[in-house]
Amino acid sequence: MQILEKTELKALKKARNLGPKKTISLLNKKGLTGRGGASFPTGKKWEFALKQKSKEKYVICNADEGEPGTFKDKFIMQKNPETLIEGILIASETIGAKQAYIYLRGEYENLKSKLEKTITKVIRKAKTKVNIEIILGAGAYVCGEETAIIKSIEGFRGQPYLKPPYPPVEGLYGKPTVINNVETLTAAAHAILLDNWNSLLRLFCISGDVTKPGVYELPAGIKLSEAMKLAKPKNPVKSVYFGCFGGCMPYKDIELTHDNICGEDCVSGSCTMIVVDNTRSIVDLAYVISKFFAYESCGKCTPCREGSVRILLLIKKIRQGKATAQDLNLLQELGEHIGQTSLCGLGQSCTNHILTSLKHFRKDFEKELR
Amino acid sequence: MDLILPILRKEHKKHGYLSEDILKKISKKTKVPVSRLYAVATFYTMLHTEKQGKNIIEICGSPSCYLNGELDLENFLEKELNIEFGQTTKDKKISLYKTSCIGCCDKAPAMLLNGKAITNLTKEKVKTILKKCRS
Repeated sequence: MQILEKTELKALKKARNLGPKKTISLLNKKGLTGRGGASFPTGKKWEFALKQKSKEKYVICNADEGEPGTFKDKFIMQKNPETLIEGILIASETIGAKQAYIYLRGEYENLKSKLEKTITKVIRKAKTKVNIEIILGAGAYVCGEETAIIKSIEGFRGQPYLKPPYPPVEGLYGKPTVINNVETLTAAAHAILLDNWNSLLRLFCISGDVTKPGVYELPAGIKLSEAMKLAKPKNPVKSVYFGCFGGCMPYKDIELTHDNICGEDCVSGSCTMIVVDNTRSIVDLAYVISKFFAYESCGKCTPCREGSVRILLLIKKIRQGKATAQDLNLLQELGEHIGQTSLCGLGQSCTNHILTSLKHFRKDFEKELR
Repeated sequence: MDLILPILRKEHKKHGYLSEDILKKISKKTKVPVSRLYAVATFYTMLHTEKQGKNIIEICGSPSCYLNGELDLENFLEKELNIEFGQTTKDKKISLYKTSCIGCCDKAPAMLLNGKAITNLTKEKVKTILKKCRS
């Protein structure tokens, strides 16, 4: 796997020789984009922070991998922490930050001590002035959102706030801050060092109704059927969910590219695939996912806080056989409104699964009407 | 500048929960108003302001675990412990919670027992865990 290649501080050395500007243009040339889900060009993000004139700058490694069905960052932190730490050092030295944080989700507490040892070891070898500290989260899905991480580290409730200003301009404690996902920072070290680095290779997390769940490194654009051949579904596949936030599509042998997936009204995000086979009712999945969002809504903005609960109640009503066709229309309408009016990515995407399942699997819902 | 979340986590680990008294003490030390500490403590699912059982079980209710039979385990746990989710057993040995995805989707169903992930759960495995928690 490309992501597991050890860079052994050679990437940091190369970045130091190149200097900040050339390092950033190299990243831009290599085409590294954010692997946390938003696919923002990494070099551009660093460039914004580099341009800011500030004595204090920060780098935050987003290790709050909360999207259901996603476990690739855990995989990297277990198998290649050295290269991740090197990536953090490169980002910090490039933008001029002396302090970096790894925001590690509370559920991954068991990874902390090994990571700390790796940090000490790598920092000693790298002879850097950058300090890296791990901050353990305490259970909040929304803290994967970058502004929520900032609030959480600052010691407030981890609730997102309106952007702009964006973190590279005004982030942690009001200072320029680069926030990158674990996979992105690890890949940054690879992109800088390896001549034959392949920007298309991504980590896919496949789970659900399959006999070989796991992390697979596959090129973007691979056919869904090829990915399924590896994961070995238990039964014929009915649908694929792109995490909880990405929505679902009926099984179609499409090439897994950003555009193709969006063409199905889904969002590929962090390359998570939860496979659902033909023994399942989509209404049950809608119930499980609606419960998740009602539980994880941070409560800051009304559409998400109230709407996620209304959606859950409607799904419950459908499952009890008490709903009418009008309720399905209400579900649709509510789903659209919540998506359009919520403050952050959580609220904006929390009804993707409802809208896509109503579009593609309306019959499953209609079967359970009164 | 004191980092609040790590302090809260440390005290939580020491006492098992964050009582009003504990929060007041932290407030005195950090100069952060107790209202804000309480706001933070009640935001995160892993921080509790009520006394917890000796062991905390959190079963993952995400789609991947659901598709691998987590629902049966939920019912089984409630029946075995004779409590509902969010409650603590009378003997104060076990508190039972549901959690969002814990990143063990490739070894589903999974749970956290006192923060440690236990994977590929079966009823038999859960029985053994409960037995250990009760002893």
